[in-house]
Amino acid sequence: MSKGLQAIGMHKRFGGVHALDDAAISVEPGRVTGLIGRNGSGKTTLFNCITGFIVPDSGSVTVDGRDITGAGPQTIVKAGLSRTFQTPREDARSTVRDAVLCGCYVQSSASFLGALTGLPGARREERRIGLRADALLERFGLAAQAEAPVGTLSMGLVRLVEVARAIASGARYLLLDEPAAGLSAAEQDILSAQIRALASSGVGVLLVEHNFSLVLSMCDRITVLEFGKVLSEGAPEQVARDPGVIEAYLGAIERGDTGSTQ
Amino acid sequence: MKQLRNHANSAAALLIAVLFALLLRDPVWIDVAVVIGIQALIALSVGLSFGQAGLLSLAQAPFAAIGAYATGIISVHYGGSPLAGLAGAIMLPALLGYLLARLVIRLEPLAVALATLSLAAIVEVVIRSWDSVTGGYVGLSGISPLAWAASPREYFWLVLLVIVIVIALYENLLASRFGRALNTLRHDRARAMADGVPVVAVSSAAFGLSAAFAGVAGWLYAHYVSYVGPGDLGTHLSISVVLMAVIGGASYVLGPVVGAIVLGVLMRMLPAQELQGLFYGGTLILILLVARDGLLGIAEPWFARALRAIVPQPARVAPEDERRT
Repeated sequence: MSKGLQAIGMHKRFGGVHALDDAAISVEPGRVTGLIGRNGSGKTTLFNCITGFIVPDSGSVTVDGRDITGAGPQTIVKAGLSRTFQTPREDARSTVRDAVLCGCYVQSSASFLGALTGLPGARREERRIGLRADALLERFGLAAQAEAPVGTLSMGLVRLVEVARAIASGARYLLLDEPAAGLSAAEQDILSAQIRALASSGVGVLLVEHNFSLVLSMCDRITVLEFGKVLSEGAPEQVARDPGVIEAYLGAIERGDTGSTQ
Repeated sequence: MKQLRNHANSAAALLIAVLFALLLRDPVWIDVAVVIGIQALIALSVGLSFGQAGLLSLAQAPFAAIGAYATGIISVHYGGSPLAGLAGAIMLPALLGYLLARLVIRLEPLAVALATLSLAAIVEVVIRSWDSVTGGYVGLSGISPLAWAASPREYFWLVLLVIVIVIALYENLLASRFGRALNTLRHDRARAMADGVPVVAVSSAAFGLSAAFAGVAGWLYAHYVSYVGPGDLGTHLSISVVLMAVIGGASYVLGPVVGAIVLGVLMRMLPAQELQGLFYGGTLILILLVARDGLLGIAEPWFARALRAIVPQPARVAPEDERRT
């Protein structure tokens, strides 16, 4: 039970709102796990509690057996967990290569004084993460755009940059916050192929999505949240047949009142 | 080769420095150039803290004052060598800047700026009232000149050398994971946190370094004038150097130096002292209106075109269209 990312018994209150009420999720290496739920169901809160952007009131988060509950983002990234943002937060003026290099921060061990004085050790580290960034650009099909400012790319490519930047930290678990939002069908296909490829290479992926059909097609496991609780958990076919899910989530789609993007 | 490209700015600065040093003959202008050079160093410290890390500091001149007093006290009271003074002039502002940043960096940018202004006020009070050490209102005189840079001309060379070294260090930092982290957290702290950057530690280290740059400028000032008084490196100068950095282009390595030269030379040519404030304010408004990125921001596209025309562009980007977009 030590392999994998587990969050159990997660509670978080914001004033009178019980955003998380005994929520739980687990992500296995090499699998894509979907986390779905309607607006306000607590998906983003759970996501932020796992990645250290919010401290949960109670609960426990472990990565491969290591307890990271309540730790800061930098500790969590070092422990092998990286995230992306729902709205990309890339600097439009930075080049694609620099953005990916930024993601390599925890991969370099250059010290502040070493970097300042340009010591050989720091230069060696810089060369090493340069090669790492180039390999990632190649792998995500971004090599031709390496020197282009992120602001000039299409949304589909920006999402790929975000994923490349997140995985650049050497993450074994990747948490994606609505990566397909605002993408065309063709762009979604490229993104899901890349995410599937990451999973096949052993990365555990947690996908927070609104888009139910995308989640059904991409995920090995699905967790459905409702009012901060786990409503259903299991394989996609199983979850899709769950009467509670159909009532709470799919029913809503048929009535057309969710924020689904497609 | 890569190393040379990383150090394009220090190479340019070195070239300009040598040209200046060879062309400048008039003793009055050599004196002006030394003062401008010292201000350029403090402006460079603004470039690092504000232009890169996004921390607006109004304490850069007091950091220089601490450097000047550190070496002055070591020289006058203890008869210590200027090199011992240099160590103090680097360490003391660096430590103070680091600790201050550690305390206030989590606050809103405006609150950080106000905290630096408070620090400036405290430093000034301490300098004015600690008579036995700082000389109080009278200041410290008799700071030993540098034996190996006795004439203004030699001193000018020294100032240029220090500027080039500081720029080289600055560039080293920018080309490292810390430089990228600073640019990310200026743009968006949450983005930097998601990269695994310890935001408080990295910003504080950068702020401490920026204070150290200012401290070195204070050291140069103290040994040049051989006197330092409580009004010499105060809030007025703190604001001037911010203007220099912004006008030259705070996010460009050489921006603050360009701003210091342009403003410094124009100041000398203006007829009346009283016009200075008007001129400063007017220039700032003009720059903020027409060029948010300062003079180098205007020059950059033009410069890039000129460079492309002179140097044939190597085929950097490999076959482009075979990749899906």
